[in-house]
Amino acid sequence: MGINFTNLNVNPCKMCTPMGSVTALYGIKKCMSILHGSQGCSTYIRRHMATHYNEPVDIASSSLTEEGTVFGGASNLIKGLENLIRLYNPEVIGVSTTCLAETIGEDIKAIIKNFYMANPDCKVKIIPVSTAGYAGTQYEGFFKALQAVVANVEMTTEKNNKINIITGLISPADTRYLKQLLDGLGVSYVLLPDLAENLDGVHVDVYNRLPSEGTSLEEISQMAGAKFTIELSTFVSDDISPAKYLEEHYGVPYKRMDLPVGLQATDAFIKQIVELGGVISPELTKERGRYLDAMVDSHKYNALGRATVFGEPDFVKAIINLCCENGIVPVVSATGAACSNFQAKIEAPIKKVAAGLFVENYAMVDDADFETIEQLTLDLKANVMIGNSDARRISEKHSIDLVRCAFPIHDRVGGQRIQMIGYAGSLQLLDRISNTLLGAKESTFREELYEKYYTGSDKKSPQAIHEVTKMNAQEIIAQKTATHPCYNCGAGQYARIHLPIAPKCNVQCNYCVRKYDCPNESRPGVTTEILDPEQAFQKYVIVKEKMPNLKVVGIAGPGDSLANFEQTKETLTLIKEYDPEVTFCLSTNGLMLPLYAQDLIDLGVTHVTVTLNAIDPKIGAKIYKYVDYMGVRYTGESGAGILIGNQLTGLKYLTSRGIICKVNTVMLKGVNDDHIETVVKKVKELGCEITNIMQLIPVAGSAFEDMPLVNNKEITAMRKQCEVHIKQMYHCKQCRADAIGTLGNDVSIEYRGCTAPSSTQEKTLEAKRFAVATKSGMLVDQHFGHASEFYIYESDGKTAKFIERRNVEKYCTGVEHCEDKASKIDNILTAVKDCHSVLALRIGDSPSKRLQDMGIGIVVTYDRIEDAVKKAANQ
Amino acid sequence: MDKRTKILDNYSARVFKNRKDHIVELEDAADPQSIAANSRAIPGVMTNRGCCYAGCKGVVLGPLKDVVTITHGPIGCGFYTWGTRRNKAKAGDDGKNFIEYSFSTDMQEPDIVFGGEKKLKQAITEAVEIFKPACIMICSTCPVGLIGDDIHAVATWTEETYKIKCVAYSCEGYKGVSQSAGHHIANNSLMKYVIGTGDKAPTQKFSVNILGEYNIGGDGWETSRILKRIGYEVISVFTGDGSYEEIKNAHTANLNLVQCHRSINYIAEMMKTKYGIDWIKVNFIGVDETVRSLREMAAYFDDADLTARTEAVIADELANIADDMAYYKSKLQGKKAGLFCGGSRSHHYQNLLADLGVETVVAGYEFAHRDDYEGREVIPTIKTDADSKNIEEMTVTPDEKHFRLLLSKEKFEQLAKAIDLEAYAGMIKDMGNGTVVVDDFNHYETEQLIELFKPDVFYSGVKDKYVIQKIGVVSRQLHSYDYSGPYAGFKGAVNFARDTTMGVSTPAWNYVTPPWRTVPTLEGKIGGEE
Repeated sequence: MGINFTNLNVNPCKMCTPMGSVTALYGIKKCMSILHGSQGCSTYIRRHMATHYNEPVDIASSSLTEEGTVFGGASNLIKGLENLIRLYNPEVIGVSTTCLAETIGEDIKAIIKNFYMANPDCKVKIIPVSTAGYAGTQYEGFFKALQAVVANVEMTTEKNNKINIITGLISPADTRYLKQLLDGLGVSYVLLPDLAENLDGVHVDVYNRLPSEGTSLEEISQMAGAKFTIELSTFVSDDISPAKYLEEHYGVPYKRMDLPVGLQATDAFIKQIVELGGVISPELTKERGRYLDAMVDSHKYNALGRATVFGEPDFVKAIINLCCENGIVPVVSATGAACSNFQAKIEAPIKKVAAGLFVENYAMVDDADFETIEQLTLDLKANVMIGNSDARRISEKHSIDLVRCAFPIHDRVGGQRIQMIGYAGSLQLLDRISNTLLGAKESTFREELYEKYYTGSDKKSPQAIHEVTKMNAQEIIAQKTATHPCYNCGAGQYARIHLPIAPKCNVQCNYCVRKYDCPNESRPGVTTEILDPEQAFQKYVIVKEKMPNLKVVGIAGPGDSLANFEQTKETLTLIKEYDPEVTFCLSTNGLMLPLYAQDLIDLGVTHVTVTLNAIDPKIGAKIYKYVDYMGVRYTGESGAGILIGNQLTGLKYLTSRGIICKVNTVMLKGVNDDHIETVVKKVKELGCEITNIMQLIPVAGSAFEDMPLVNNKEITAMRKQCEVHIKQMYHCKQCRADAIGTLGNDVSIEYRGCTAPSSTQEKTLEAKRFAVATKSGMLVDQHFGHASEFYIYESDGKTAKFIERRNVEKYCTGVEHCEDKASKIDNILTAVKDCHSVLALRIGDSPSKRLQDMGIGIVVTYDRIEDAVKKAANQ
Repeated sequence: MDKRTKILDNYSARVFKNRKDHIVELEDAADPQSIAANSRAIPGVMTNRGCCYAGCKGVVLGPLKDVVTITHGPIGCGFYTWGTRRNKAKAGDDGKNFIEYSFSTDMQEPDIVFGGEKKLKQAITEAVEIFKPACIMICSTCPVGLIGDDIHAVATWTEETYKIKCVAYSCEGYKGVSQSAGHHIANNSLMKYVIGTGDKAPTQKFSVNILGEYNIGGDGWETSRILKRIGYEVISVFTGDGSYEEIKNAHTANLNLVQCHRSINYIAEMMKTKYGIDWIKVNFIGVDETVRSLREMAAYFDDADLTARTEAVIADELANIADDMAYYKSKLQGKKAGLFCGGSRSHHYQNLLADLGVETVVAGYEFAHRDDYEGREVIPTIKTDADSKNIEEMTVTPDEKHFRLLLSKEKFEQLAKAIDLEAYAGMIKDMGNGTVVVDDFNHYETEQLIELFKPDVFYSGVKDKYVIQKIGVVSRQLHSYDYSGPYAGFKGAVNFARDTTMGVSTPAWNYVTPPWRTVPTLEGKIGGEE
């Protein structure tokens, strides 16, 4: 089933033929490779091989330049050969071509002939390999090189008793094992190639830059006289097969077999060797028994395995053999190579195991890229991936474990020591796969059982329906999250509206004053109006008409949304009827969450924010003055204990049903600052999506009025510290309970009183001067420290009169900088020293102290300038 | 026999003739010495150089996070540039980050025979449908130039059909002599088609572009952190964590900061001509160098508040790292280092090593030009050869709408005397007598240099990393930082010092004795060469 109808390969699952060729040549004794083409080819290949094998990889280049593309590259190649011989003194040189050499039509054989003519004393065996990068993939290049080797080395046709063993790419450790296995069977053989040493070198006192191990020319020359060839490749085609070549030219019979990975393939291989004179040792019998024992021992874990197997076709076939005999269903088998008989050669065992384990669908694709593999992996619900490290991005993105056991492995060490061949290697790999499955299981199964059989027991049928529609529901939530400005930093272009419908609160936090101040999110501002559900609905309709990018409706107080559940419910029901697409977001202290969680889900709430400042009642007792729960007022640790218990239970309930939960935590110096990381870890465990660690905003009249502030640096440090556990919110604007608009642009003022009249009382007093920090010139909307200028107003409480603008240097330019005691603050203070008060959106701790020392008042507000100034004058 | 002669001793007459001019033993720093550079690599000697495509796609364009960069060619080239430079990027406001992707047209034999334009167009159509990028870039590989696919026509077709930006780069691997050609090609087209097409004005008084910072291991983030702390607005970064959306506004900045001179000086120069933006050669690798760079920036803007802020930040940052740096210096003082990187880092890191009391005894570049070694003053004397002639030297003219000079001519000249204003003195002048500078190292020379100079640490890339370790010497990757970083700026300096200290204190080295450690001096033939 070739599904590559695409022309764009997104994340390739294959490499080019020159890569295969030079790898194979690393298994020839005293052999160096040169790539005839641009030097980038060898540099890239060296880089990839060095990373996987952790060994020096030297592949020369003929360094063709533009001139070579016009006049041919013969002189470059000849120079390259000369230099390679002089610097490395090899016995064999493989000349592999590249896209460039093949496209300009270089005649490598003729160039080599000319080289020998010019250097008659040269004893080096030079072997040309035709490897156009656009014709095939890595494994094809590998066999092309091996075929070129047997075709170019002078053969001794005298019969010998040897068996030729030809392999595709296997690891050095597997090569060593294969040799031991053959030695143990007591047969004489030639192994081509022999990658045992050159790509897994030992540390010696004197390093030798020439790869000095591998199959020697002498051994290769005996291949023509061997009694049999076993070619360990499922997919190699006759035209590039070394075994076929030996048969055609020297009459050596051959058999092509799967790589001996797994019980059956290894049995088959050993049976073949025994037929050729091998003798099975008791030790080998034990080894087989040990693997079989392990297969039995771990079958119950393996039976839950649903694997995505990807890579070069021979590797995929080997892993499919291993998986299928262990009851791991390869639901996705994929190769990047274009391989017309891929499905035909792999399907039988998959079909059988799938039928036995009730798996209906599995996919087999050739010519696949990782985009395709990712999609199939998700569609067919694979729970483990087996292949090279290129799937790490998929693994990370979807939390599907990856067993790295094929070239290239770029993010782990030990690629050269991966084992999978024979009984011992199969056992190694099987254990790794089983343990990967177990690792995932171990961390989730208790929870799943609890959910399925305990909490879900009383509503079995809805649960089942829920399962079916889960995918769809999750997609919808994911989409809603993507357009929610608070959850997705990139969704800043979408607007939200906070509807102030919930005045009552059931928890008294020590940082909060219950005067329409929000207990949940420590907003600096308040709400100017409380709406009833009908008004709230009208307001939504008005705003939505003017603001089509309005995506999110939030209920965020000013009290607690669940302490006013009837209002909340009515509002959400009205809006949902009008606009079914809308995203509902709700913030709460979490006290009533266990009671209303299911109702919230039924109402269509997808995002819930809980303010959770502590999970230790001892600490909680310092934060909460009292908790009103079920008609009783609790204080101290008992109150905090109830609150915390309900918060955690409620969060768990919501996250396990796919609701996206955010946790807000107010960082309180000396109270919970050492405890926050514990809170964060806990909520991560509960399945929350993100946490928002916030500064305390001291409110006059609250118990924490005089608490020292945490500065931005400390907040950022805390967020960074917690970021390793869970995503952190850095873009919180600590919005008002009646905020409207995008995060960066609150336009709530424009809609104030649009549904109900508001009133302002005014008194007449003597005129005072005020300095206003403003960005827009209309509103008090700037942080004191961010202000580059102040608007100076005079007001007697009835009227507000603009006097002048005063420029000061900005002294605060960003989060990193806020606490810097730069002398610039003096400029600002000088600029406002004749004023009664300053009006700003926010103000830092240190400037506010300095202002107080100078006897200047501070009004922290967000309002129209005129209104704010008048109010300030009245105070 | 001097060290240089020893290295060259084993070469054939022909190679000797070539290589002798690429290896310079510094005698008298005051007397400028010349070196051969940016000429063809010798076939078969295991050069570490890459190709033109690597410089264009791999280095300059690869980090642009919101661009779908399609490799037009057979699969290998696209695969090999997939995440290999370890650039880091965080998605911007549009949520787009393609840096984790590799896009290729995966050309097959029929495409080579009959042409690949059709496949390229279809691939672009698919890319637009799936990823909806604002910008697509096309990079060609060797066969594309040979079979004559007109990728520039395809780019025009894309812009007309899909109303998005599309830029094509003819960066076939065989062009030029190294990655350097690819840098130049990328610079030219970014200048021609991208820079100046945006209109977002800076929001702050002092704005800069950082040129030649690829955010390997987060270097660019540390640099930007410091600059923002002082109050600079970073308009765009070329190209680490960079984006098409930002660099199209690059012309609105006040000043260009050139970090990697080799890969990006073309854009700096062209922006000066076209938009009047001055540039200074900064270096945010090394504590002293970072301080120097920040002070020169302040000097350029000549603003009392900015200068005060600069000094305040420097004082604070220095205070934060002083203890760490002193500790690591006590561990590293007196050690010797070898440095072999691409085209700028070998110079930059000498400053950081000097901060730690480590002497650089041998240094070289993979693909630098003479000006990177000897200083920009030699540019007029550099001869163009057949290879450099093939890379377009773009000429630009002042842009009527956007050209403006921040400094008067007199002020510019006056300032140029004090700081590195549009000047770069190169690496050689900073190196001590008796040290050796090598252009385009190869494997053999690396081994020889290590034996001759016995460095305690050798900083280079992954290809030579294992050679160096096999010889028994600590190796740190300076191309991609072995998973670590950032090494730039103040905090980065501490990371670097820590990593180097960890390297030299690795217990495994106690069990490894390089042969030359036990033999005081090496005489006669080089080991293993007979």
